[in-house]
Amino acid sequence: MSKAIFIDPKETRKSGWITFKDIPVNQYSKSIDDEKMNFSKEDFLRIYRDMAIIREFETMLYMVRTTGEYEGITYKYTGPAHLSLGQEASAVGQAYILDKDDYIFGSHRSHGEIIAKAMSCIQKMSDDELVEIMKNTFGGAILKVVEGKQKDKNSVKELAIDFFIYGAMAEIFGRENGFARGLGNSMHVFFTPFGIYPNNAIVGGSAPIAIGAALYKKVNKKKGMVICNVGDGALGCGPVWEAMNMAAMDQFKTLWEEGYKGGLPIIFNFFDNQYGMGGQTNGETMGYQMLARIGAGINPEQMYAERIDGYNPLAVIDAIKRKKKLIEENQGPVLLDTVTYRLTGHSPSDAETYRTKEELDAWKAIDPLETFKDDLVNAGIASREEINEIRQYSKELIFKIFKLAIDDSVSPRIDLVKNPDFIGNVMFSNQRIEKMEDRECDVLIPKEENPRVKQIKNKIRVGVQGDKPVSKIKTFQLRDAIFESIIDKFYADPTLIAYGEDNRDWGGAFGVYKGLTESLPYHRFFNAPISEAAIVGSAVGYALCGGRVVVELMYADFMGRAGDEIFNQLSKWQAMSAGVLKMPVVLRMSVGAKYGAQHSQDWTSICAHIPGLKVVYPATPYDAKGIMNTALMGTDPVVFMESQKIYDIGELFRKEGVPEGYYEIPIGEPDIKKEGKDITILTIGPTLYQAVEAAKVLEQKYGVDAEIIDARSVVPFNYEKVIESVKKTGKIVLASDECERGSILNDFARNITELAFDYLDAPPVVIGAKNWITPAYELEKYFYPQADWIIDAIHEKIIPLKDHIPLNNFTRLEQIRLNKLGV
Amino acid sequence: MAIPVKMPKIGLSDESAIIAKWHKKKGEQVKAGEVLFTIETDKSTFDVEAEVDGILLDVFYNEGDEVQVLTDVGIIGREGENIGDIIPSQGKHKSQSETQKQQVSEAKSIEVELSLKDAAEKADSDLLTRVVEKGAVKISPRARGLAERAGVDFRLANATGPEGRIIERDILALIEKGPVFTPAAKEEYLKKDMDLQLTEGTGIGGRITTEDIQKNSEEQEVTKAPLMIAEEPDRRETIEKPALEELRKGVKYKEVRFTNIRKLIAKNMMRSLSTTAQLTSNASFDATEILAYREKIKANGKKYGLENITLNDMVLYAVSRTLPNHPDLNAHLVDETMLIFENVHLGVAIDTERGLMVPTIFNANLKSLNEISREVKQLAEQCRKGTINPDYLKGGTFTVTNLGAMDVEHFTPILNPPQTGILGVCSITYRPRPVNGQYEYYPAMGLSLTFDHRAVDGAPAARFLKDLKTNLENFSLLLAR
Repeated sequence: MSKAIFIDPKETRKSGWITFKDIPVNQYSKSIDDEKMNFSKEDFLRIYRDMAIIREFETMLYMVRTTGEYEGITYKYTGPAHLSLGQEASAVGQAYILDKDDYIFGSHRSHGEIIAKAMSCIQKMSDDELVEIMKNTFGGAILKVVEGKQKDKNSVKELAIDFFIYGAMAEIFGRENGFARGLGNSMHVFFTPFGIYPNNAIVGGSAPIAIGAALYKKVNKKKGMVICNVGDGALGCGPVWEAMNMAAMDQFKTLWEEGYKGGLPIIFNFFDNQYGMGGQTNGETMGYQMLARIGAGINPEQMYAERIDGYNPLAVIDAIKRKKKLIEENQGPVLLDTVTYRLTGHSPSDAETYRTKEELDAWKAIDPLETFKDDLVNAGIASREEINEIRQYSKELIFKIFKLAIDDSVSPRIDLVKNPDFIGNVMFSNQRIEKMEDRECDVLIPKEENPRVKQIKNKIRVGVQGDKPVSKIKTFQLRDAIFESIIDKFYADPTLIAYGEDNRDWGGAFGVYKGLTESLPYHRFFNAPISEAAIVGSAVGYALCGGRVVVELMYADFMGRAGDEIFNQLSKWQAMSAGVLKMPVVLRMSVGAKYGAQHSQDWTSICAHIPGLKVVYPATPYDAKGIMNTALMGTDPVVFMESQKIYDIGELFRKEGVPEGYYEIPIGEPDIKKEGKDITILTIGPTLYQAVEAAKVLEQKYGVDAEIIDARSVVPFNYEKVIESVKKTGKIVLASDECERGSILNDFARNITELAFDYLDAPPVVIGAKNWITPAYELEKYFYPQADWIIDAIHEKIIPLKDHIPLNNFTRLEQIRLNKLGV
Repeated sequence: MAIPVKMPKIGLSDESAIIAKWHKKKGEQVKAGEVLFTIETDKSTFDVEAEVDGILLDVFYNEGDEVQVLTDVGIIGREGENIGDIIPSQGKHKSQSETQKQQVSEAKSIEVELSLKDAAEKADSDLLTRVVEKGAVKISPRARGLAERAGVDFRLANATGPEGRIIERDILALIEKGPVFTPAAKEEYLKKDMDLQLTEGTGIGGRITTEDIQKNSEEQEVTKAPLMIAEEPDRRETIEKPALEELRKGVKYKEVRFTNIRKLIAKNMMRSLSTTAQLTSNASFDATEILAYREKIKANGKKYGLENITLNDMVLYAVSRTLPNHPDLNAHLVDETMLIFENVHLGVAIDTERGLMVPTIFNANLKSLNEISREVKQLAEQCRKGTINPDYLKGGTFTVTNLGAMDVEHFTPILNPPQTGILGVCSITYRPRPVNGQYEYYPAMGLSLTFDHRAVDGAPAARFLKDLKTNLENFSLLLAR
């Protein structure tokens, strides 16, 4: 959305044709002789060496996994082994010109890519650089194991190769010396000092993350490009298309400011091994026939798509060289269809019922390890003996490292007996970092001149004055509180960016960002396509590269569209990296109201269920600003729930109102909104206001003095205050707008029961929304918990109230009946 | 086939009885109809006869043991018969608690069978039911904790929570209004597991002290409901408690334990006073006529084959004829329901060595003065001997008690619930009254009517007294009716 772009009906309705440019298919045709001027003998042999190392690495895993031994040494490994045997030339060719500033993201089948990338980096880095990296990795723990075990004691590069192979293998075998302490395993090996970023076991999972990394490079003007390595099977996944589409957004070229103009620096590289598990992408499960074709569907540049021969390392090198140049000219994104073939099954359990022996033999006959060797010998680059020596070296290397990696005395696993909190300690990074980088913030005007900031200055920062409510228009509302916190951060952390649907210009569908556009250039604040997976996934990539980001899903209901990105990516990468990566992402989600079944669901509990996410749901302006400040100061992913019901609410609880200055409210601390002595009401989110209403009736009509606690946070959650309250009152009702079944409140109730059992006068009672669809607005009062529900439930289940006539059925029989029916 | 011998259930209110004597020993031959053992209940002593011929193969309880009713106490069968499946718990004795548990269910099922006819026993059964429910009491952890800290027995709380759960406020109410223990007394109480309704605190702020407990437990040993599940030693062996010893150090005293009947009386009296709204109205009547009648009987009764009809018999007769016009006093009050009886079943208080007993003259209103007189004498005799059939110790609809022989001028008889009235007959005093401008003395006999104000108001009760007075003052006319 931008007024800068005129949508001309004449232009839009004009007759004509869309024309396409030809997409090159395997156009590389140079021989070794042709390339002699570009590659030295060492270069050629190094290409072969890297392919040989990968081949041996994967062979080792294949042997261990299928026969339980390698080179006469038995070892039991039952973890995943998605091997890239046969795909070595593609990997080595891709990595050949890349350095540490080029980031690669991969798939479950990425051993080859990471080894190739590491070898390439080691080749390009200075000895000092390498030594520093090795020393700094886990305090030199990996280095210590391999140090001194090289043939050439003075060769830092040889040491670095051992170091990397060992770190990767230890990771695959789940050892503490692995690059992620063994918490990542085979499908997730990565090592950021060499520009190797997380590999993803979810097919296509890397695509949205990779565009976030590209965004990070672009926005923060970082060197290098990003390659998203996924398989051809990933083209069946929506998030991959979302990522390609978002990477190709016109605004990069049309609206972004000078210096930031141009496409994202990313290559979507499809290692097109012809199969998605067993499904043949050409001829069976897809319709494109040749993968490169799809580039034509994304943008006029057709993503500079090209099919290249992944069985020829030189063809791949050639392509990457050309594409890198395009990227440097801000012509991204680029699509590469790197044709290859895996010579073993999808995994060791694959019976390969989907392909014939003839097909396999035909590919084996052109195995690059043999054909490239022949080519080198035939071209007189090296003798067969020389090349065999390299093969021998690779075998010795892998065997040497294998022995170290499986030796429990040098490669133990993390000791969860001695250190039971090890994994718990890496679930969150819990750091406090004001700005992710120390430099000037790129803004358009001083904060004081921002129109919204000026408007807020005139607002009354309390919701009631005396007994009189302040009018909505004059009150400092909850939406103002969120805005205030976020704009503050935009002027403090230069890496902070925010995006989502209709964020810029519109100011967010509910006006939270109104006025933010005036302060921020496009590259810090822009509109995303309606692509929830790409929005959240890219935030993950942006953050794990080192930036801070706030993304928004317009409605919590759209979370399903970003399921993998929230549940498998945002939540997990801190722990899957054993704390190496940080994830300073605030995911704003608004819970709808008045909008029916697909736009009015409170899904806080779904987020709370997933380990690794912090989940907050402030219900007052004071809390919203304080908690957002904390979220934006931290380094963890925070799901920040907002309610459309109360965006316009003023501060009703804190007499002093909402401070203009900076303050933080710790995440995880509930707040007593009203003290009382007879019964505790714990709420999450806007149900707080129903509780307040109920408390008034309880007091006036029944003489019951309720204490109201606002959870504010759901994960983490400190029960101490609640337990203290329950010790006092002996009774607790828990209420929120989430559907009752599976609501996190049931967890709360269980914990409270366990922690305060002897103090309870009745079992904690959970009140949620009905286990229905959210009906039309006019019927919402029958769906969401109301004050009278709270009172009725108290009467029926906790403490019969004198002369109370319940309006709702909270009897046991009804409870059993409804559960029987599943509603 | 071996037949178990059960402890009989004699009166409906009996929960247990004591085996006073085994007349046959284990292994001895018995014949049907022979006395097997004698039991002692609250109210009477009773011989239990063998129902079959055979050998007394085993006895499970010794003399002096308290046994729940309907419990097997022995086995009669043939020599060498396998009796393993009859012997309680495959062993010699069922543990007391097991027996008690079993009795709970039996007692409950019996309770269900109660008919209106047996309403007289219902009061007892109510107690039983209440205690039965205590076994599965619903109480919140908080309320339980509070009760524990405050030293109150939550079982006495009135449950107002959902589904009959005792919740915090119920315990708070109990603390405020109900009994509170000293810590030592609480321990004692829990050990003894007694019925607290009978206990009133004498400690500071009305707290129940160990002494109160001691006093109470002695009263309650046998009458206490059998279903407290605590495993405890035979209570009769736990009379002396250190605290008590301390208290009585250096004081000479003799300790006389309550007999069963004493315990029952105590219990019934307390319950009567604590569960009814009773009050007493006093009146007197001119006994000239009944005294004259008594003289006639003395002089010529024998000739007419009449009993030695006493003044009391005459009062009984007059009462039996007056009550039908005052149905609210010939009634039972049970659960806010009045059971109005067609006929008058007069309870007559009899003083015996063992204590007060109240046999019933059934259908007294249909019986002649002579019949009444005879029956009273027979019943009194049986009471004194302790051989009265327990069925005669219940079923009364109104009671008459007489302290006149002891020169008591007026007193406050205690109601025998669920009856609504009891008449105390007092001594004769001489009172002056003006006759033709001069005072002359006449014999005035006192009547003390205690009635349950819940059932009857003061005026109707007074009207009854007035009618009774008229009838007694015109006794010969009444007789003629």
